[in-house]
Amino acid sequence: MIMPRGQQLLLPANPFFIAVSLLLALVLNMIENVSILGNAAWRPDFLALVLLFWSIHQPQKISIGWAFMLGLAADVHEVSFLGQHALAYTVLAFFATLIHRRLLWFSVPSQALQVLPLLIASHAITMVLRMSLGSSLVGWPMLFAPFLEAMLWPLVSVILLAPQRRAPDPDENRPL
Amino acid sequence: MPLGTLDRTPPPFFKQGATPLHKLIFFATLSILLMFCDVRWQLTLPLRSALSLLLSPAQWLSRQPQQLSTGVVNFFEERETAQNREQQSQAALLAQSLHAAQVDQLLLENRQLRDLLELKQRATPPSLAAQVIYDAADPFTRRVILDKGGVNGVILSSPVMDEQGIVGQVTRVYPLVSEATLIIDKDNSIPVLNNRTGARGVAFGESSGAPLLELRYMAANADIQENDILSTSGVDGVYPPGVPVAKVIKIERTADSMFARILCQPLGRAQGVRQVLVLNPVGLDEPKRPEPEVVKVPVKAGAKP
Repeated sequence: MIMPRGQQLLLPANPFFIAVSLLLALVLNMIENVSILGNAAWRPDFLALVLLFWSIHQPQKISIGWAFMLGLAADVHEVSFLGQHALAYTVLAFFATLIHRRLLWFSVPSQALQVLPLLIASHAITMVLRMSLGSSLVGWPMLFAPFLEAMLWPLVSVILLAPQRRAPDPDENRPL
Repeated sequence: MPLGTLDRTPPPFFKQGATPLHKLIFFATLSILLMFCDVRWQLTLPLRSALSLLLSPAQWLSRQPQQLSTGVVNFFEERETAQNREQQSQAALLAQSLHAAQVDQLLLENRQLRDLLELKQRATPPSLAAQVIYDAADPFTRRVILDKGGVNGVILSSPVMDEQGIVGQVTRVYPLVSEATLIIDKDNSIPVLNNRTGARGVAFGESSGAPLLELRYMAANADIQENDILSTSGVDGVYPPGVPVAKVIKIERTADSMFARILCQPLGRAQGVRQVLVLNPVGLDEPKRPEPEVVKVPVKAGAKP
């Protein structure tokens, strides 16, 4: 594997951890909706972010089919039209596979800058779909959502790569 | 370098499955098809029900932080506040009991009068107390999720009200939960009657998304004033007649429009409501409407097939 100079060699990703992180992101979205923010339009979509992360870092394991299924789950929870999030996530995962070879050569902050257009596109798809099916605009707070998500990218990178950054040979001085 | 540092299996060279572009085309088509099934033909309720059952543990989990925080707040709430609230509710109860006694008498009187005139009895629909679990996350619509579903006997299109007035209507019933569209939703409409003048009309959700109602198609010179109370008219066979809905707060009459723009404030707490009552639709036990007869076009005498 060709890697950028000076970057730590990562352990292989655990498929179980990937699945759990995606489920947790879905639950986090639900908590955000049910207990904290209600239906505010600027809520950052954690599921989209985690999905984007794994389709960039592990495109062999997380593919477009996963994005579609998780999109359906999000649709049912949000009671939006069935297929709306599925389409948005499918397109997001597709663009992620297009840029995944290039993106990991950049530093994390500039990665965040480069995933921002994808996140904007994903939100724009949702908005255009809803408006073409007769909904009215929800106003400018919706513009915040993709920016918030892009700002969360470094945090997500740290958290989701932590298990892969452990030492390959743990000993007593280095238990993790 | 120890073993296990890298993936043991090298990435496959040839068996890579479908290309991303093919997958994109397949899944995008599938989701657009699903959306059409959902919006145009309403075919996806079984799929939604199944997925909602699958998601219900996660939804239960996502409710816990909120319940925990309300629990903590309740624990630290002072005794004085509780006593104050108790006194207030006692006073309210006293005021209402007098009212209720009068209403009982009025109901009796009304029934006798209706018997006398051989009018149809006005029935009180059976009801079910429910709790709003959360606001639906979709920012384009105004919907709430109720904690009672098909298992508890919620019927599709049932009116939902709180103690002050109509709040919305049940639009989807899942096995364990159900989904109600609020009256302030843009696509929701409710037939109303002006209590002061008796004029009937239809109130829609405000189109720009404010938590208001809009009384449409009222002529610019119609007799309507601010602070008029609108209640359900009962002509739809869904809402029971006479339940308060909204209060007129603003009337704009413009020269270039035939209709006045009338904005109303909903009386029920359409936002932030917690405890609601789900009434059965009143039209359930009414006789079915006759099917429209197919008019046969008479064949012209000279025409031959």
